[in-house]
Amino acid sequence: MFKMVENVLKNLVSKPATRNYPFDKREPFKDSRGHISGCDIDVCIFCGMCQRKCPANAIVVSKPEKSWEIDQFKCVICNACVEVCPKKCIFSSAEHKSAQSFKDKLKLVQASKPVEGAEQNA
Amino acid sequence: MIENLVEITSDQLLAETSKSKYESYRFVTSTCIDNGDDTIDVYYHFDKDYEMRNVKITVKKGEEIPSISRIFFSAILVENEMKELFGLNITDIAVDYGGHMLLSDEELSSPMLRQQITIEQRGGKQV
Amino acid sequence: MSSTVIPFGPQHPVLPEPLHIKLVMEDERIVEAIPAIGYVHRGLEKLTETKEFTQNTFVVERVCGICSVMHAMAYCQGMEELMNIAIPDRAKFLRVIWAELHRMHSHLLWLGLLADAFGFESLFMQAWRNREKVMDIMEETCGSRVVISANIIGGTRRDLSKEQMVKINQIVDEIKEDLEQLESVFLNNYTVKHRLVGRGVLTKEDAVEYCTVGPMARASGISMDLRTTGYSAYGQLDFEPIIHSDGDNYARTYVRLHEIYQSVDLVKQAIAKIPEGEHVIPVKGVPPKGDVISRVEQPRGEVLYFMRGNGTKTLDRLRLRTPTFANIPSLLKMLPGSELSDVGMLILTIDPCISCTER
Repeated sequence: MFKMVENVLKNLVSKPATRNYPFDKREPFKDSRGHISGCDIDVCIFCGMCQRKCPANAIVVSKPEKSWEIDQFKCVICNACVEVCPKKCIFSSAEHKSAQSFKDKLKLVQASKPVEGAEQNA
Repeated sequence: MIENLVEITSDQLLAETSKSKYESYRFVTSTCIDNGDDTIDVYYHFDKDYEMRNVKITVKKGEEIPSISRIFFSAILVENEMKELFGLNITDIAVDYGGHMLLSDEELSSPMLRQQITIEQRGGKQV
Repeated sequence: MSSTVIPFGPQHPVLPEPLHIKLVMEDERIVEAIPAIGYVHRGLEKLTETKEFTQNTFVVERVCGICSVMHAMAYCQGMEELMNIAIPDRAKFLRVIWAELHRMHSHLLWLGLLADAFGFESLFMQAWRNREKVMDIMEETCGSRVVISANIIGGTRRDLSKEQMVKINQIVDEIKEDLEQLESVFLNNYTVKHRLVGRGVLTKEDAVEYCTVGPMARASGISMDLRTTGYSAYGQLDFEPIIHSDGDNYARTYVRLHEIYQSVDLVKQAIAKIPEGEHVIPVKGVPPKGDVISRVEQPRGEVLYFMRGNGTKTLDRLRLRTPTFANIPSLLKMLPGSELSDVGMLILTIDPCISCTER
């Protein structure tokens, strides 16, 4: 009983345990798996390892087109692609993605002019 | 690889299960595997003091298997599941959902069987 | 007397997941209960037949969020046995640390849900505030809050640094301190006891008869905890299964609450004993032909994995039996004879995880 009273008093005077979210965001932890933010397309050798290891079939790599494409709505953010990449050119961001209004894929093509998808979510 | 494996035929199953119950084994679950050649392996796993005892029967598709749910009531869910997903012909289950525990009418019958066989069955049943 | 049939669920404030039970009532008393599942069947067992065995680690983690570590642990242990891989000792201890942290967050979640089910909102918030600490440490060490993907065939994906271990030690101490304050409310409060004591009794004989597993069985006086078989690093840690003999809602609350203390103790023991060295070894080759069974104790009870390899990258069959699947028959035993107002509590105290059950 005494402990509970102590607890009640503590709760009354202490700050709330929750955050005022959209205005007050917590810093993401280092090495947190937020989302796959992209790929260094100039380094990529289009070996397709990430495509084969992806458990959600979210990545499509095309050697003839020299393109690397990720469907971030299929991605389960396991970071298997990041670990398996022989060139270590896939980037994982610690920040979580916010809500999106369009289901766009992130497509990167290796060319003289770096064309990118309609919306890069980095 | 599997400890204490006993291979029997399906008509010995009830006797073997009763024996396990008599020796105060606990029914863990059963596993169904499509061998891809018109036969299905069914394992029944029992456990007593962390020691497993596995009973394996191999049946032809469509062959009748007696239900063990009269001996171990907790087998009802798994037997209904096997009946639906693998199309095993298990007779006399204590609580029989009649193929509607997980699946609805529109779905494929026996979706866990190997793909080509599923398609054949659907072809046969479609009107 | 004429009977009434009342459908309970699939959507009900007390249920975290969709479970439908047809209750045949006579007045306020239940005479028969017929469960209906199948609302969240996702066909994950079939999916695992099309994925490579390394990808399956991520698939089985998504069977259930709350016990994701143990699912992956059971799968990896089975595959390691099948492929004859001896994982480093450090990996075993790391697995234990994350698994016990997971057990803590699962039980704290359950305590919160229980408080919510009998309408004690502030207790619910207190329990979940505690849980948040575990979630944060999980994200800090593994990169994700719930589906932490810590296990991989051959070891673990990440290692814990010295500072992180010190921090984990600190945080589990804090959780223990906070929980001691809540313990008296859960176990000694008059109102709470009124909803728990003597309700939903599952005797030891019934628990044996209906093949109950996990905290349910331990609350009925059966000493069954697969961790005592010493898989992973549990063999080198010192603990006793927590047992209560009453078999009612109160006993189940008691067992789960004290298992959090046990987990705190196990985490501290594992951190004290963890050896230095590698945390993962590379895995070569494919699973050979053969069957293997692997069992692990989850927060809800025993989980069984059955794998059949066929010498290629994919498995022939992966079967998993989750604890709730084994506990539903006991629920059917407990329901007849109880009152309608207790049904919510009874269903909650088996700690149902329906998406686990249907996979």
